[in-house]
Amino acid sequence: MARYVVRRLIQAIPIIVGISIIAFFIVYSAPGDPFDRFRSNKVSPEVIANLRRVYGLDQPLPIQFVKWFTAFWSFPFDNTAWGFSITDGLPVRDKIFERIPSTLQLMGTSLILTIIIAIPVGILGAVKQYSIADKVIAVITTIGYALPTFWLGIILRQIFAQQLDLFPLFGKYTFGKEGDILDLLWHLALPAMTITIVGVAGWSRYMRASMLEVLRADYIRTAKAKGLASSRVIFKHALRNALIPIVTLLGLTIPTLLAGAAITEAVFSWPGLGYLGVSAVTERDYPVVLAFAMIGGAMVIIGNLLADILYAVVDPRIKY
Amino acid sequence: MTQRPTRTGELLSIDGLKTHFYTQDGVVKAVDGVSFGIRNGETLGVVGESGCGKSITALSVMRLIERPGRIVAGSIRLADRDLLALSDEEMRDVRGNAISMIFQEPMTSLNPVYPCGDQIAEAISLHEGIHRREAGDRAIEMLSQVGIPDAKRRAREYPHQLSGGMRQRVMIAMALSTNPELLIADEPTTALDVTIQAQILELMKALRERNRMAIMLITHDLGVIAEMADDVVVMYSGKVVESSDVNTVFEQPHHPYTKGLLASIPRLGEKRHRLEVIQGVVPNPLNLPKGCLFKRRCPSAMPVCDTPPPLQEIQPGHLSRCWLTPAGEPPEIGADAEAETAVAAAAALTVEA
Repeated sequence: MARYVVRRLIQAIPIIVGISIIAFFIVYSAPGDPFDRFRSNKVSPEVIANLRRVYGLDQPLPIQFVKWFTAFWSFPFDNTAWGFSITDGLPVRDKIFERIPSTLQLMGTSLILTIIIAIPVGILGAVKQYSIADKVIAVITTIGYALPTFWLGIILRQIFAQQLDLFPLFGKYTFGKEGDILDLLWHLALPAMTITIVGVAGWSRYMRASMLEVLRADYIRTAKAKGLASSRVIFKHALRNALIPIVTLLGLTIPTLLAGAAITEAVFSWPGLGYLGVSAVTERDYPVVLAFAMIGGAMVIIGNLLADILYAVVDPRIKY
Repeated sequence: MTQRPTRTGELLSIDGLKTHFYTQDGVVKAVDGVSFGIRNGETLGVVGESGCGKSITALSVMRLIERPGRIVAGSIRLADRDLLALSDEEMRDVRGNAISMIFQEPMTSLNPVYPCGDQIAEAISLHEGIHRREAGDRAIEMLSQVGIPDAKRRAREYPHQLSGGMRQRVMIAMALSTNPELLIADEPTTALDVTIQAQILELMKALRERNRMAIMLITHDLGVIAEMADDVVVMYSGKVVESSDVNTVFEQPHHPYTKGLLASIPRLGEKRHRLEVIQGVVPNPLNLPKGCLFKRRCPSAMPVCDTPPPLQEIQPGHLSRCWLTPAGEPPEIGADAEAETAVAAAAALTVEA
């Protein structure tokens, strides 16, 4: 297993190089420029040209790439490794690192809630297939799955924050209450609910489908023929098999959750990575966008590796 | 309905069992009025083509029929217990305890995520109420009883680490671990290659002697029947068409379907250019023919076959669902006789309407 993980991490090197090349050239070939917003009659072209030189944007792209890429990897020791944000001049690494806890809090809470709700709902739908409960679940989850995250977020904010005034409109802490865990949870409620609703809708369908397939398996009939109670057949013999594809899918979805969180974070002004990424893109803040793309790429690689490791943990047939 | 002649000392008695499936396209009468019995220690072979209802009969005995299927009529008795009247909880106590079942597909019948020994031990601790560790030791003992070498190590292995024959041995060990009175074996050797088939049959014979249990052996392989069975029930389209002891069925088959089955076995050294086959296919269960279900494929079909033939007693203990006389001639009332007359004439011979 350890050898396998090491081999996979070595394989990840060419992948991350490929990601960085593609990300770099796509970001730079996108229309627009970080200094577009300064362009007006009052700012002379010389000033803008000067700014471009300061940030190194006047040099040929391949040279810019090599400089960026070689500097990038010293980030564990050098907070300027990822360059400086064009928006506020702060080191990009610090800007990103200070946001990681917020994103983890939101992502983690939502993911745990999603799993806790979706798995029992999926099991119920499969075990009571075609029952009233199953049909009600199907209708609700299909609606939930169809809702766009940003729209759902806005509606939840409208109802629970603006009209009922139960939850705050935005942010992570009330001003002056930084570090207060209850205040954090109060602020976390709506964004976490948004991600969870959409997540439960999808995951409960996967769980139901997986469970239905397993319930038709021959070994389930064997378990029943042994005289086991149906609860034991479902929760011991069927569940573990049904979770195998779910666990794999879960690993693969982690990077997507980051992207999904970006929209929700933006709606609720949650100070996480996603929110930072979205505003960096609108402001053409190249160093931040690139760092964001690299983190996304790394998440995909880690998510895949995690999925494969978990797969071997839950399924004895898989050995590396 | 006249009762089928009951024999003394029957362990399992099935009477007029009807298991129907309510599908969107109509009602499939998978088992439609099946009656037979198995005595203590006896091996009953149930033969028939795919889809004749033999497996559904077995699953009905276990009460493991899934929706849209349902047992709609009949009775199933195990010794003095009416299985169809038991509560779900009481039935669970019968399953895997008094009646065990092994299945056709050893490759998929074991749970892939649990070690083999644990799966056997689970049945033991459930029915014997003993502690898991003790049950684990019993499981290892069972594995060596079914001829698995190095049972202690094998018990810790997962099903994918075992061959098909080994997995079927594990299934047999699991089924026998609770000393059942009746073992239902649904095509236990069909998925195995020939040498392994012989080993599994030998094993089942040895264990049958040792445990003195009755076996309901479902198969389409008449060779397996000849090897194992005391009595034979031949099923066709959800009905019993012939039943007798194994020698009578092989030597004096009465029903044209049974004769066809026997004629379609290739024999070594026999100079025959073509293998005889039964013409045609099994009737569509949603659109069964009127009268005898076999008439469209039957070489002896006659006009009277438009009336459902009764299950008549050809000789003591030998039943056949065919209009032909015990001697195999067309009935005296003749091929041209009115169907009603035929029914009336047959009533005298009938043991079951």
